[in-house]
Amino acid sequence: MSTVDTVERIGLDRRLWRGVIAVAAVLLIAYPLLSDDLFYQNMIILSLVLAVGAVGLNIIMGYAGYISLGQSAFIGLGAYTVGIATTRIGGDPFVWVPLAGLVAAAFAALLGVIAMRTRGFAFVIITIAALFILQIVAINWDSLTQGTSGITLPLPRWDISIQNWPFYYTLIALLGASLLLSWWIRRTKIGTGLLAIREDEDKAATIGIDTPVYKIIGFMASAVFLGMAGGVYGYYIAFIDPTAMFDIVISVQIILAVILGGRGTLWGPVLGAATIEPLNELANQQFGGGNSRLLIFGGLLTLTILLLPKGIIPSVRDLLERRTKRGRAALVGGRLGERRALNGRPATATGGTGRNLLEVKGLHKHFEGVRALDGCSFAVEEGTITGLIGPNGSGKTTAFNLIGGTMRADAGEVWFDGRRIDRLSPWRRAYAGLGRTFQITRVFTDMTVLENVVAPLRSFSWRQLRAGAVSGEEAARAEELLAFAGMAEYRDERAEALSFGQRKLVELAQVLMLDPKLILLDEPAGGINPTLIARIAEMIRELNAQGKTFLIVEHNMPLVLGLCEPVLVLASGECISTGTPDEIQRDQQVLDAYLGADFQLEEPVAAP
Amino acid sequence: MTEFIQATAFGLLIGGVYALFASGLTLIFGVMKVINIAHGALLILGAFLAFTLWEQFGLDPLASILITAPAMFVLGLALYVAMIGPLRSAPLSSTVLLTFGLALVIEAVMGLVWGNNSRSARPSYFDQSFDLSGIVLPKAQVYASIVAILVLALLWLFLNRTWTGRAIRAASANVQGAALVGVNIARVSALTFAVGLATVGAAGSMVSVLYPFLPGSHYIWIARVLSIIVLGGLGSLQGAVLGAMLLGLAEVYTQTYISTAWATAVPYVLIFVVLFFRPQGLMGTRLREDVAV
Repeated sequence: MSTVDTVERIGLDRRLWRGVIAVAAVLLIAYPLLSDDLFYQNMIILSLVLAVGAVGLNIIMGYAGYISLGQSAFIGLGAYTVGIATTRIGGDPFVWVPLAGLVAAAFAALLGVIAMRTRGFAFVIITIAALFILQIVAINWDSLTQGTSGITLPLPRWDISIQNWPFYYTLIALLGASLLLSWWIRRTKIGTGLLAIREDEDKAATIGIDTPVYKIIGFMASAVFLGMAGGVYGYYIAFIDPTAMFDIVISVQIILAVILGGRGTLWGPVLGAATIEPLNELANQQFGGGNSRLLIFGGLLTLTILLLPKGIIPSVRDLLERRTKRGRAALVGGRLGERRALNGRPATATGGTGRNLLEVKGLHKHFEGVRALDGCSFAVEEGTITGLIGPNGSGKTTAFNLIGGTMRADAGEVWFDGRRIDRLSPWRRAYAGLGRTFQITRVFTDMTVLENVVAPLRSFSWRQLRAGAVSGEEAARAEELLAFAGMAEYRDERAEALSFGQRKLVELAQVLMLDPKLILLDEPAGGINPTLIARIAEMIRELNAQGKTFLIVEHNMPLVLGLCEPVLVLASGECISTGTPDEIQRDQQVLDAYLGADFQLEEPVAAP
Repeated sequence: MTEFIQATAFGLLIGGVYALFASGLTLIFGVMKVINIAHGALLILGAFLAFTLWEQFGLDPLASILITAPAMFVLGLALYVAMIGPLRSAPLSSTVLLTFGLALVIEAVMGLVWGNNSRSARPSYFDQSFDLSGIVLPKAQVYASIVAILVLALLWLFLNRTWTGRAIRAASANVQGAALVGVNIARVSALTFAVGLATVGAAGSMVSVLYPFLPGSHYIWIARVLSIIVLGGLGSLQGAVLGAMLLGLAEVYTQTYISTAWATAVPYVLIFVVLFFRPQGLMGTRLREDVAV
C-alpha cells in the first residue's frame, strides 16, 4: 500500500504531509548554503547514498516481496565503473556516473535472469552470492581493479569554497529521481504486478502477469540509481577497494532503512536511511567502527524484525487508522449487495457449438510415487458448462493445474482453441483466453477489491506497463463486473477483510476481467452458504448464455447435476465416463468408482 | 593420476565435514522452514570454543566436541526461546533477516571476545600426514572426517530409531499432521533447533583444527552451506551429504587445477549454475504448489 493513498484514506490532512516533506526537502537543499560544517555535510552525503539504496530496494523488496541482501554490490559496481573508466579513459569522474547506473542495471538484469525460475529464498541466496563473487573478482582481477591495493581517484578540481556541493547536489538529484521512479512504478501496471507477485506469485501468473519480466524490471529499477550513487560515492571517498565497496554491512543498512521506515511505503526508506546513517557515524566515531558497527546493525536488524516488523510509517498509520475507525460499523460481514446483470453480448441459447474448445490428451503427472493423472483425456465443447467430478484424489485439481499452467505435465498434450498450450507459461494461457479460480480462494489480500479486479492483464505489451494501475476504461469495466457479482459496495475495502464467500465472488470478477473464452472454476460452491451457491450458479448461467464456456470441478452433486452438461468423471487419474447428468447417474462404472453402491441421489437443484 | 586421486580423496574428506556442518541447517529447515543464515557464524563460534579449550586446557580439538556440542545445544535452546520461536510461523523472509542480524551480532561478539586475529588449534598431529603410496592425507583431516561421519551416523540413528527422532521427522514432513497425532510442535522445534546447533558445534570443533579462522570467516561458510543446500535440496539429510561431497570435490579440484585464489569463488559459482539450470536443486522435487496457501 502506498502511504500517500492510505494517509488520504484515513483522513489525515494530506496537505500537512506534503508540507512536512516540502520543508524537509527545502532544508536539505539549503543546508550547504547555510552551514559550512563538513561533519554534517558528510553525514548527509552518506545518508543520501543510503536513501537512494533504500528507495530502490523498496521496489523489489517492499513491492515485490523479494529480499536482496546484496544491494551494496551495486554501490561497488558503480564505484568501480567510475574508478576504472576515469583512470583508464580519463575525463571527469562525474561523466561516468550514468554509465555506472547502466552497468548496475545490466548486472541486475543478469541476476534476474538467473533467478527468474526460482522462488523466495533462492533470490536471497543469489544476491548474497553476487555480492561476494564481485568482491572476489575485484580482489583477484588485478589487472583491471588493482586488487586489494584499490583504485585511487584524483581529488576534485573545483574551488575549495564550494566544499562537497557537487557530490551533495548530485546525490540529492539521484534521490529525487529514485523517489520519482518508485512513485511512478507504484501507480502503474508494473506496480500492481509487483504487488500481485508479492502476494501470490502463482496466482499472479494465472491472471496474465508475466512474472519474470516484472521481477527483472523491478530488480533493475532497484539497482540503476544505486549504481549511479555508488559512482558518486566512490569519487567522494576517492579510494575504491574491494572490502569497503562490496561491504555487506552497507547491504544490511539499506535493508534496515527499508524495514525500519516501512517496506512498501514511498517515504519510509528515506526516513529509515536518515535514522540509520547517524547511528553509523556514532558507531564509527564513538565506538571505533568494526565490531561495534556489526553489533549495532546486526542487533538493530534482529530487534526490528522481532519488535517492529512493519516499520515506523505503517505502524503509525495503523495506529491512526484504528483511532479513526473506532466505533464505526464495518461494511464487511453485512448482507450481499444487489446483483446487476452484465452488459455484454446479447444472451443466446445455451448449449454447445459442436467445436471442442479445450482438449486434453493423455495427461500424466506423477508426484514421486503417486500417479495423480495417469493418461487422462477429455474435451470441453465450446458453449457448454462442463462438470468435472470424481472422488477425492482422482486428479481434478491436478488436471486444472496442468491446464492452467501452474504445473507442467510429465506427458500428454493440452489443446485450447486450436492451439497446443501445454508448453506455454500461465500468463500466455491467460492471454489465449483461459481463466481459472482456485479451490481455496487466492485474492490479493493486501489490495483493495477494485485493485484485485483490475490486476489481470489480457496481453503483454511494454506500453501497457506504463499505463496507470487503475485507468478509466478498465476501472469502469471492473466496477461493472463487481456490480455483476453484487460486490460493488466493497470496491475500496481491502480484500483481507472479506469473508471466504465474498472472496469467491471477487475472484470470479477478477477472472472475468480477462474476458476469457473458457473459465475453470475449482469448487465454486465449496465452503459457502446455499444462498451464495445459488447466486454463483445464477452468474454461471448468465455468463454461459453470453457465450462463456465453463469447466467446473465440484463436489456439490445437486449443483453439478442441475447446472452442468455434460459431466466428466475422473477416477484414479483417468476420465472414466462422459455424459449428461442422467447418463452419469445411471452409469454403473461411475457408481462403483465414485458414488458407491448404496448412494441415494437427492433432487437436483431447480433452475432459478 | 596420483594428483587426481589425491584431490578426490581430499575433496571427499572435506565433504564429510561439510556434510556435518550442513546437516544442522537442513534439519532446522525441515521442521521450521527457517533458513538459518547464522549457521556459519555459529560454526565459527564452535571453533572458537574448541580453540579456547585446546589453548587453555590442552583439550584435543576433536575430543572437545563432547563439550562444544552440548554447549551449542544449550545456546540453541536459548536462542529458540528468545527469537526463533516467536517467529516460527513468520514468513521465510523475516527469519532470513532475523538470522542474518544474529550472524552479525555473533560475529561482533566473537570479535570483542577473541579479537579479529586468525586462529587455529594445533594439536600434535596438526602437521602430520598419512602417506598411502604417494597419496598424502593430513591426519587432522582424516580424523576430523571420521568423527564427522560418526556424528552424522549418530544423528541418523537418532532421527530413525528414537521416538523423538521420529517426531522430528513427522514434523518435518507435515507440521499440522504431526500436531494432530500428538507431536508437541513447539517442543520439537526447540529441540530440532538445539540439535541443529549441537551438530554445528561439533563441526566447529573440527574446523578449529582444519582451517585458520577469524570472526569474519563465517561469510565463506554461509556461502558453502547455501551452495550445499542449493545442490542437495533443502530438508533432507541425504541431500545435504550429497551436496557437501560435491562442493568438497569442486573446491579441491579448483584448488588443484585452477588456482587457490579462485577456489573461494566455487560455492558462489555453483549457486549460480545450479539455480539457473535446475532451480529445484539436484535432488529437490517440485512439490504441489496449489495447496500451499
